[in-house]
Order: sequence, then structure tokens, then C-alpha cells
Amino acid sequence: MASEGELGRKWDRCLADSAVKLGAGFGLGIVFSVIFFKRKTWPIAFGSGMGLGMAYSNCQHDFQSPYLLHGKYVKVS
Amino acid sequence: TGAAFASFRFVIKGSLAGAAVYVAYDQGLLGSGTQGAEALKKAQAALPPAIQEWTSYMGWEVRTVQMNTLPPTPKFDFSPSDFWNKGVQTVMSALSVAPTRACDYTVEGWKYVKDLVK
Repeated sequence: MASEGELGRKWDRCLADSAVKLGAGFGLGIVFSVIFFKRKTWPIAFGSGMGLGMAYSNCQHDFQSPYLLHGKYVKVS
Repeated sequence: TGAAFASFRFVIKGSLAGAAVYVAYDQGLLGSGTQGAEALKKAQAALPPAIQEWTSYMGWEVRTVQMNTLPPTPKFDFSPSDFWNKGVQTVMSALSVAPTRACDYTVEGWKYVKDLVK
């Protein structure tokens, strides 16, 4: 695993996570808006904003943690 | 009975909202960055078969003599950093050959004008 590719992988992960969190926040905002808030717009904006904020926080944590390796556990039998 | 119906409706709504939040949490949509990236990859992998299923359900499959199925549905394999790097490289190489190209085009243009004037 080339170290110069690691930054690119982090960016990819960050953008993918941002898309997922934005979509999830938007979707949950729609659900709450329809169920509880009489189809107002603000829960959708609130959910999207929360999703973006969570994504930003995750990206920040990912970029500022140079010594954590993203690996998988492999059981050795 | 009015109050009972209202509380029953609230319970139903609360259950729906809670189920939506739980499903989002269970699919890893609210977790760390790696979980979100994996969820997106799963969704990208699930999309072509879903499109295939929907088109066949709607009856949009074209059966011809030569082939029995639609051409394979496109696979979404997107790497933003690769695209960005390629874009930067293309722009930089274009900029590096730009002065030489500009000189060549000027010389050619000048020759063309001179030929016209002759």
C-alpha cells in the first residue's frame, strides 16, 4: 500500500461518507417532517445539515489520525 | 376514545420514526467514515441488478433475433481522487505545451497570411 495513495484513499472515503451522510440526513429529515412536523421544510434542512456535520467530523478525524491503520481482522486458525 | 385514538396515532408515528432511525443506524449510515464508504459501495453494487430487475418488470426488455437480453447495465465505479488527479495532470500537461503550440500556430498563421498577400 503506497503511502502517497493513502491520502487519495482518505479523500475518497471522506467524499463517499459525505454523500451517504447527506442522503441519510435528508431522508430522515423527510421522514420526521412528514410524520411529526406537518410537512414543513426545516426538519429536512436540519437533517441534511446534521448529516453534513457528522461527515465533516468523520473526515477531520480521518485526516488527523496518521497512525491509525484501516485494517481487517483475519482469524488465523 | 378521542384521546385514546390520538395516543394510538402518536405511538404509530413514533414507531415509524424509530424504525427509520434504527434502519439507518443498522445499515451503517450514521457510523464512522469507513462504514459510510462501505455502505455507498454496497449501494453501488446493488444498483445495476435493481435497474435490470425494474426494466424487465416494466417490460422494456428488447428481444431481437440476435440477442436475448439488454446490453449489460453500467457499473458505477467512481474514484473521486483518481478523477481529480487525472484532471490535474491533463491541465498541467496542456499548460506546459501551450507556449510551444501558440508559437507554432502563430508561425503557421503568419505564413498563411503571407501566402494570401502574395
